[in-house]
Amino acid sequence: MIGDLTSSGPVPTLQAAMNFAGRRHQLLLNNIANISTPNYVQQDVSTRDFQSQLAEAVAERRGRNGSAAGELHLRANREVSQDATGRLVLTPMTTSDNIMFHDRNNRDLESQMQSLVENGMVFRMAGDFLKARFDLLRSAISERA
Amino acid sequence: MYGMLDISASGMIAQRTRMDTITANIANQNVLLDANDQLNPYRRRAALFAVGNPNATSAQGRKFGVHISKIDVDQSQPQPRVYNPDSPVAFKTGPFKGYVAETNVNSVVENVNALDAMRAYEANVMAAEATKQMMTSALRLIA
Repeated sequence: MIGDLTSSGPVPTLQAAMNFAGRRHQLLLNNIANISTPNYVQQDVSTRDFQSQLAEAVAERRGRNGSAAGELHLRANREVSQDATGRLVLTPMTTSDNIMFHDRNNRDLESQMQSLVENGMVFRMAGDFLKARFDLLRSAISERA
Repeated sequence: MYGMLDISASGMIAQRTRMDTITANIANQNVLLDANDQLNPYRRRAALFAVGNPNATSAQGRKFGVHISKIDVDQSQPQPRVYNPDSPVAFKTGPFKGYVAETNVNSVVENVNALDAMRAYEANVMAAEATKQMMTSALRLIA
C-alpha cells in the first residue's frame, strides 16, 4: 500500500526517463572526450525507440490494471534493457551518418553538443515533474495546503 | 553519476597533455644541438590518443573516456634548405653534407593543432558543466 506511493502513477515513467537520460549523457560525454581520438566512431542510442518503448510500457500497464496505477514493465529493445537490479543497460548501436575523417573518426561536435543540451533538458524536466509529485505527496502527508 | 565527471576530466587531461607537447614543439623549433652541444636537431613530439581511461576511479569510468597511449617522436628528416658548409650546425656527413640542419617542426601545423586542442578542451569543459547541472537537478529531488 505505502509502496504504491512511489511505484505507481507517473513516478516509474519519470524515473525511467531520468535513468535513460542519465545513461545517454554518459555516451555523449564519451563522444566529446574522444573528439580527437583516431579510429573512434561516435556512439549513441535512439531516443525515438526509447520513447515508443516507454509508451508501449505505459499502454501495457493501463491494459493490465485498467488505470495509470501499478508498476511499469519496460520491455527490452535492441538498445535499452534492464539488468536484475532494474538499472537501465544501454547497448549503443545508433551511429551518426557524418563523414569519416582521415583519422577514421566521424566527429560531429555541433550535433553532439545539441544532443547534450537536449538530453540535459529531458533530465531536468523529468526531475522537476518528479519533484512536483513528491511535493504533492509531502503536502498530503503533512495535511497542509 | 560521479563517474561521468571522470569522462570529461580524462578528455581535458588528454587535450592538455597534447597542448603540452605542442608547446614543447614550438619552444624547440630552432633547437639544433643536444644537451652535450652535439648536432642533433630537435624532433617533434606527437601525443597519440586511445579510447578508455585506466586512471578512472570507477569501473564505468575506465571503460569510457580517453587517455594518451604514447608520446611519439616524429623521426622524419626534413629536406634542408640552406647550403653553408662553413656553418657550425651544418651536416658533416650523410646525404645532406654541407647543408645547415633544421628541425622538423612546422609552426603552422603546430598552431592549428593548438587551436584544435583548445576547442576540444573547451567542449569537455562545457560537457562537464552540463553534467554538474544535471547532478544539481537530481539532488534537488532530496531537498
